[in-house]
Amino acid sequence: MKHAMRRFCGVFNCMLLFFAMAVVAPTLAEAQDLAEFEKRMTEFTLDNGLKFLVLERHEAPVVSFHTYADVGAVDEVKGITGLAHLFEHMAFKGTKTIGTRDYEAEARAMAKMDEAFLAMKAERRKGNGADKTRLEELQKQFKEAQEQAQKYLVHDEYEEVLTQAGSVGFNAYTSRDATQYIVSLPSNKVELWMSLESERFLNPVLREFYKERDVVMEERRMMENSPYGRLREEFQAIAYKAHPYGEPVIGHMSDVRTITRGEAEAFFKKYYGLSNLTIAIVGDVDPQEIRRLAELYFAHIPSGPKPEPVETVEPPQRGERRVIVEDPSQPRVLIGYHQLSVNHPDSAVFEAIADIMGRGRTSRLSKSLVKEKKIAVSTRTRRSWNKYPGLFTFSAVPAKGRTNQECEEAIYAEIERLKTEPVSPEELAKAKTRARASLIRQLASNDGLAAQMTFYEVITGDWRNLFNQLDKIEQVTAEDIQRAAKKYFTSKNRTVGVIETTPTEN
Amino acid sequence: MRNNRFSVISVFIFLAFGLCFIASSCTQRYGLHYKELKYPKLGEVEIPKVEKATLANGMQLFLLEDPELPLINMFAMIRSGSIYEPTDKIGLASITGTVMRTGGTTTKTGDEIDEELERIAASVKTGIGLNAGYASMSVLKEDIDTGLAILGDVLMNPAFREDKIELAKIRHRSAIARRNDSVSQIGRREFSKLIYGPESVYTRHTEYATIDNITRDDLLSFHKKFYHPNNIILSVWGDFDTKEMIKKIKKAFKGWEKADMELPMVPEVKYQFRPTVNLIRKEDINQTSVYLGHIGGIMSDPDYFALVVMNEILGGGFTGRMFKNIRSRMGLAYSVNCIYTCNFDFPGAFYVACHTKSEATVRAIRLMMEEVKKMTENEVTDEELNLAKESYLNSFVFNFDTKDEIIRRLMTYEYFGYPADFLEKTKENVEKVNQKDILRIARKHLKPDKMQIIAVGRPKDFDEPLSVLGPVREIDITIPAPTK
Repeated sequence: MKHAMRRFCGVFNCMLLFFAMAVVAPTLAEAQDLAEFEKRMTEFTLDNGLKFLVLERHEAPVVSFHTYADVGAVDEVKGITGLAHLFEHMAFKGTKTIGTRDYEAEARAMAKMDEAFLAMKAERRKGNGADKTRLEELQKQFKEAQEQAQKYLVHDEYEEVLTQAGSVGFNAYTSRDATQYIVSLPSNKVELWMSLESERFLNPVLREFYKERDVVMEERRMMENSPYGRLREEFQAIAYKAHPYGEPVIGHMSDVRTITRGEAEAFFKKYYGLSNLTIAIVGDVDPQEIRRLAELYFAHIPSGPKPEPVETVEPPQRGERRVIVEDPSQPRVLIGYHQLSVNHPDSAVFEAIADIMGRGRTSRLSKSLVKEKKIAVSTRTRRSWNKYPGLFTFSAVPAKGRTNQECEEAIYAEIERLKTEPVSPEELAKAKTRARASLIRQLASNDGLAAQMTFYEVITGDWRNLFNQLDKIEQVTAEDIQRAAKKYFTSKNRTVGVIETTPTEN
Repeated sequence: MRNNRFSVISVFIFLAFGLCFIASSCTQRYGLHYKELKYPKLGEVEIPKVEKATLANGMQLFLLEDPELPLINMFAMIRSGSIYEPTDKIGLASITGTVMRTGGTTTKTGDEIDEELERIAASVKTGIGLNAGYASMSVLKEDIDTGLAILGDVLMNPAFREDKIELAKIRHRSAIARRNDSVSQIGRREFSKLIYGPESVYTRHTEYATIDNITRDDLLSFHKKFYHPNNIILSVWGDFDTKEMIKKIKKAFKGWEKADMELPMVPEVKYQFRPTVNLIRKEDINQTSVYLGHIGGIMSDPDYFALVVMNEILGGGFTGRMFKNIRSRMGLAYSVNCIYTCNFDFPGAFYVACHTKSEATVRAIRLMMEEVKKMTENEVTDEELNLAKESYLNSFVFNFDTKDEIIRRLMTYEYFGYPADFLEKTKENVEKVNQKDILRIARKHLKPDKMQIIAVGRPKDFDEPLSVLGPVREIDITIPAPTK
């Protein structure tokens, strides 16, 4: 998920981060309504299809940039899983004019590396029949070409330019649905961003490709070494048998190991056309000047058609699916139900259910499992906020000495209650108030706003839904909740994943 | 439509050719390469003035009006901390901090408070950390009276009901049971014990026995010892009028009297530099978590400013030496962290940490150590110094882009006895740092030959045995069983 490194945001964490930001929607308090926002907002689309959302916020001389590419792990196919994420990492490696002393010579060395890599791949496919001497020879050629290419590098130029300019929050994220590039700068550096970002999408050079692939393999190992990461990957894999949401964003180790630079370049050509990008700029800026610079730097970049969406549809389940992860760590339980995409009318109903069931100290799960039964130390709900149908999940961390089974049963009891009796007017009112307050609290940061606006613009078709979503939640009734619970939260539509503590074998 | 576009393109091509002809070069640029850019002067940062006040009962207030959103927030720091809890009751400060809120007050249960707050989408939270107690409140502005009344009640009159003490203990016991599930948690915790000593107030941690020893009376007396108005700094920011707000705060804390109090002494950190190699076996992982380093520093040290610059060069973000070499050039790790930490009031730690595949463990350790050593051998380059300073100075404006960081920073300086302009002083001094300063302080503060190393992983997969780095001590992290 992220290039980042920086800061320990792992694949799943990053998704959590993104979704946490995307949460929401409440609507507005007097001073903070849509009409007031519209006044500060400028939208325009270049002829090549690149869309800009510019929001003036003159609180401080700083500005946040958010580039949202409508491509994620969901757009991969078997054999190249992890490619969207790997490409995201590569997008920091510079361009034909940034990061190199001599692009032509560097390109020749890189081509030699690719050639050796492909030959090694072919030789290894022979399995036991592979020629060891030839493999060694190819490995040598590969290394020599790599060293040759290194000679032309201007190390980390892209990162250094931004760092020196005073950037903060420089990073990128890949999720199932999207790849996002973010940075905040002092507001006198707008043109610097224009220059760097336009170069990145016009002329990216995937240099140090095989090194970066090793980094991603370490990123994958970090996920594998986290008990919850292991559970999550198994759980997701059995919840889907057809739709690519079942694949890990970071990719399978064997795919990451064998992906080629050519495949990454092809992926870029297909998915990074400007018509597939949306950019939000929030902060101390002049929208006319932004428009002028956007035309100057981006308008000349050609763009193909927007890529086709994924057409695979997850078929209905025929019964509950369950995975038991045998692990030395302590128990965990994760329960999911297939839900519809964020654009389905029921998504507002799920937002209310997520709040009533699982957010805060007075949520039903917290009251039942944590406070009353004392069988869990924490509980949580997450509604899917995805482009394609995702999962609504309930999860619990059992208290010491208590079991997954106890927690699972207690969660089912609460789900049953949701189906058999209407939620109280107080609970529903609380969920609506909290939705509104949650929106207001998100309006105070440039980068948070930029993330929200691009998400709503791309996934729901209009950034205004950030606000409109609140009206939809406002209309949710107790009957809606009961109906949705009965419809979606059935045993047939359910996937369960648990960690059962099992001693490690040495 | 299509035709139209075609003709536009033709015209364009025609023009472009024409221009090329004239300019005799076809490498037309659109916009400028970043190297050609000139930047306008950055707009002035308006630093809002934070009002200060002290109430008759000694409570210090920081206030900052911010009408942008209809919200009001508060954050309090209380002189307290787990450094003051007795050795046989580790966890007391944390449980006191939690149950102060969850256990309700003399007039309301914690559950009633939960309901009241969540109905209005507000929050009141409390906690006690290592060297401070905290309380926070956030409300929509129309609910300020409710939120403030609850915050006051919780700080002044906590009831510490038994059922919520039990709940907090369950949480602690569960955390103890889970503390070896996360590799990085193990590395961090055990490295910290190497630096400060396992019994130190800065590293000791809960066990089943210390949790069992804690009683309600302990909570009551811990609260009584520290929670007095003259021991609290409260900051408020959001959509309010300062005068009105001071009145409201006075009302909320009415009747709470000043008390004489003296904070207990905390033992000094005595560190002896020494090289050690430590291993923690974890057989279910394919990647080693490595920490290496030694004691760090404190912010009041005049070397602090040069250390800030050294940190940028050695461990800063995407561009520090560690990240560039261990990650970008070698591909050995996804994350590499390296920082010489300076704390406000006690020495921090210097550490380098990464996760690398088991088969690269010793190689990565050697490379990390080598980078530390290089820092003490030669002056940094002009480019490095320039990048580090420019990065610090150009991003300085982000210290002022939200109101809460402005007010909370001032409050923290006050709490730890630093001057209110410490940040500005830091900036002035960072501007003056040169290569010689950095080499001098690196030699003084970094001890590459006396670093303590810890590796959490599966030794049979290591590229070389850890013993090539020195005699290996194995650390047993088995969790002591509960006694009852």
